[in-house]
Amino acid sequence: MPAEPRRSQALLAAWVVAAFAVSATTDLRILGGAWAAALVLLHRGAGRALRRTLLVAAPFGFGLPAISWAWLAWRGGAPPAAPFLALSARATLVAFLTFSVLARADLLRALAPFPAASRILVVCLAQVHALRMLVAESGLGLRSRLPRRPRTGDVLRGSGAITATLLSLSVRNARDVADALRSRGFE
Amino acid sequence: MHIPDGFLSPVVTLPAWAVATPLWWLSARRGLGGTPVESVPVVGSLTALAFVLQGIAIPVPGGTSVHLSGAALLAILYGPATAFACQSLVLLLQAVLLGAGGVTVLPVNAIALGLAGPGVAWLVHRALVRASGRAAAFAGAWAGTQAATLAVALVLGLQHRLAPSYMPVPFEVTVVAMMVPSLAVLGVVEGLYTVAALSILRRARLVDAR
Repeated sequence: MPAEPRRSQALLAAWVVAAFAVSATTDLRILGGAWAAALVLLHRGAGRALRRTLLVAAPFGFGLPAISWAWLAWRGGAPPAAPFLALSARATLVAFLTFSVLARADLLRALAPFPAASRILVVCLAQVHALRMLVAESGLGLRSRLPRRPRTGDVLRGSGAITATLLSLSVRNARDVADALRSRGFE
Repeated sequence: MHIPDGFLSPVVTLPAWAVATPLWWLSARRGLGGTPVESVPVVGSLTALAFVLQGIAIPVPGGTSVHLSGAALLAILYGPATAFACQSLVLLLQAVLLGAGGVTVLPVNAIALGLAGPGVAWLVHRALVRASGRAAAFAGAWAGTQAATLAVALVLGLQHRLAPSYMPVPFEVTVVAMMVPSLAVLGVVEGLYTVAALSILRRARLVDAR
């Protein structure tokens, strides 16, 4: 096996192990140390990974614990903050590890030794690309047809219509891919 | 709506992996079947469809927006087993491509959002479809959304019950924070979308196309 699939597989395996290890940790000091270690070890591209972490994981990772702590404090005395901080630290650390590792690993190469999984991923990513373009064009078309910003009802009706198109396209593409696989001798 | 990594300990996630793994195998066999040449393109295409549908944002009054799930539509069109397989793959893709959800909590999210939600949607739709197709679609999607949200809230509540120091957010906070938007907005939007999509699919005679 070439080195690259092994490197990506090792990275992904390390990520899964790290995610489980972090998700089992409750001690705030250990989590702080893990955060520091992650920033040192994964410093290349850390700014981008931190930005993505703030965008994706922070709203739920910080929001729910903060709301909960405030509510409990309002109801009857402030509870200890450490478990809430640990929860936020865990959620954001796993997200940071995810973004950092996924920027370094190549999923398609990691899956190269598994043909069925590779094919599903390739078909899926190609379809996602094609269908997303259609959805974006449909959204632009809806906006251009209306003299005002589309409202909930407009977008819902438009979504229903685009779903019909996406579904028919998906079914047709699935048949084409199956034919292409058969014509290349896959069974 | 889905649970991110770090909110559930291995005490919950490891048994969930043990429960979900045979369910994935069963759903792949029952829902997809056939040879790999037939099933791989169908799985890939339907997963892509569900993935893209979940990227569509619906503006709601108040200046915010919600995302469609499409899980109820998939369950009504293709059955709960196919919906479970495709939603699980969508969750896996979201975890590894977008960092949404996560790998440790994948089976919990898959069971809640891919099995409980679409399963309830399919059952409610089946029970009501003879009376009114539109009402059945709306009720199915609405009930499926509530079932999925409640399942997520219950798992978070279970984690709090098992280890309050790990998950300090009590169940009453979680359930209110999750169910209020679900009951008021998400379920209604998903229901209206499912009705609109199904009526257009029926008019275009695409419902039975597989």
